Amino acid sequence: MFGQTLAIARNTFREAVRDRVLYNLILFALLLIGSAIFIGELSAGQETKIVVDLGLSAMLLFGAFIAIFVGVGLVYKEIERRTLYAILSKPIGRGQFLLGKYLGLNLTLLLNIVVMGIGVMAALVYTRRAWDPLAVKIWPAILLIYLELLILTAVALLFSSFSSPALSALLSFFVFVIGHFSTDLKALSDSASSATTRWLFRALYYVLPNFSNFSAITPTAHGINPGTRVVAGAVLYAVLYAGVLLSGAALIFRGRNFK
Amino acid sequence: MKMDYLLVLILAVCLSGAIGLSRQLGQHRTDIADAHAQEQLYLNGRSARRMTLAFNGLAADWYWMRSLQYVGRKIVKYEDDHSGQFGLVDFSSLDLQMLAPLLDVTTTLDPQFIAAYEYGAVILPEVNPEQAISLLEKGIAANPNSWRLHQHLGYIYWQRHDYARASAVYEAGAKLPGVPPWMAAMAARMKAEGGSRTAAREMYEHLRESSGDPSVQQMVEHQLARLDALDELDALRQILESFKQRNRRCVTSWREVNGEVRRFKLDDTGAPVDASDAPYRLINDGCDVDFDPKSKVSR
Repeated sequence: MFGQTLAIARNTFREAVRDRVLYNLILFALLLIGSAIFIGELSAGQETKIVVDLGLSAMLLFGAFIAIFVGVGLVYKEIERRTLYAILSKPIGRGQFLLGKYLGLNLTLLLNIVVMGIGVMAALVYTRRAWDPLAVKIWPAILLIYLELLILTAVALLFSSFSSPALSALLSFFVFVIGHFSTDLKALSDSASSATTRWLFRALYYVLPNFSNFSAITPTAHGINPGTRVVAGAVLYAVLYAGVLLSGAALIFRGRNFK
Repeated sequence: MKMDYLLVLILAVCLSGAIGLSRQLGQHRTDIADAHAQEQLYLNGRSARRMTLAFNGLAADWYWMRSLQYVGRKIVKYEDDHSGQFGLVDFSSLDLQMLAPLLDVTTTLDPQFIAAYEYGAVILPEVNPEQAISLLEKGIAANPNSWRLHQHLGYIYWQRHDYARASAVYEAGAKLPGVPPWMAAMAARMKAEGGSRTAAREMYEHLRESSGDPSVQQMVEHQLARLDALDELDALRQILESFKQRNRRCVTSWREVNGEVRRFKLDDTGAPVDASDAPYRLINDGCDVDFDPKSKVSR
């Protein structure tokens, strides 16, 4: 059963790797990381900080683009090309199909993140013209970025299980933005005078993904690493939240009528 | 073939037109940039922090470079208007009203951005000391273990001749982990002889040692040159005084004391010169000495 899921994941990975748009995005991100070297020269001694800030931000931004735009097309393309019927006629569950697609895209994202991470490392070493300890210290932050992208992919997959790609992309983008405002949702809940508003904001705070759990770019640029507990907590949160989203997506997808 | 020539011609004409128009617009843009230079920032730090999502570090870098460019543009404008080099000493003449808000947004977006606090600590005291103190206090609250921020805050209080507060700040900084031992010594010196030239020299030398910021280094070099010049003036005054006591008159030129002034750096006429190679000027009929009006050493 898991072999079938892995087969779908492998095919999704292969398909994504062949996609030219993906290469363009990675190339653009690497160019941006490279440009950090030149921008850093305008920063009066803050070159490495700017390389890390710009590099990791580009990683998050382009990773989010890939997660959203590739993620929303995962299921839709199969329906559009009618290849889904051929797959589902085999002894493969709809939930397994979704999980396979999800794992395939995650593998693609992992490859992209590692390539971009090596790009940032190279930019740091080039900037310092020597080995920079930051080149190692950036990896916990990169792991957190990857975890955030795992959730975002699951969000995109959830929306694409019942909506058109354009709307799914828009909704996923909104979730990405709101997920970074989660601390404000909590503050709004604390300051609201009406009990209903307080309850609503509190519910939104807990139900929507809290991406501030994965924000470590700024302290990392100063060489301050997120602690082991923070990273472990973030890993657990990402697994649980992705589990919620994938279960929801599988539930909707199982109920869909493709006739 | 004719079509090709025509297309090349259209390309050349349009390109020249675009370049010409771009130059025109560029000149106009300079005026707009000047007008906007003093405008208030659209966003305060807290709003900017909210709006930048997870990219607050990157936004802080952008505001940081904007702060550097803001000061840089002001220096260029000053040098254009005064046809001379700005010595990085008298920042009050640059009218840097926007620097404090820019640095405030930078440090709200990234509270660990020590370089931004240090930059403010060097330039803001001459523009608005209260804003400089407030920036440094904000920095210390966000980075309680940064002894360098304590050092800068102590320096600001010392510049205001508030030696008691300077001493208290140095003392608080001296208790932090990894602090160099001279911080405690500076606390004591501030209390005992805050206004002395020795304390000033020590203050600047420690600033030079601890800061890697080129603007801090340059400012310190200027201030140390000023202290050297003040020491030289004192020594020259002593030479003039002893000449007066020996000869019951003041000197008519530096040549009369050339034996004594030989240990100073001299120009072609035998007059001692300061760090900017301007000769010290005899005043009060040769009984006293002062800086040359053309000297670039700050007074």
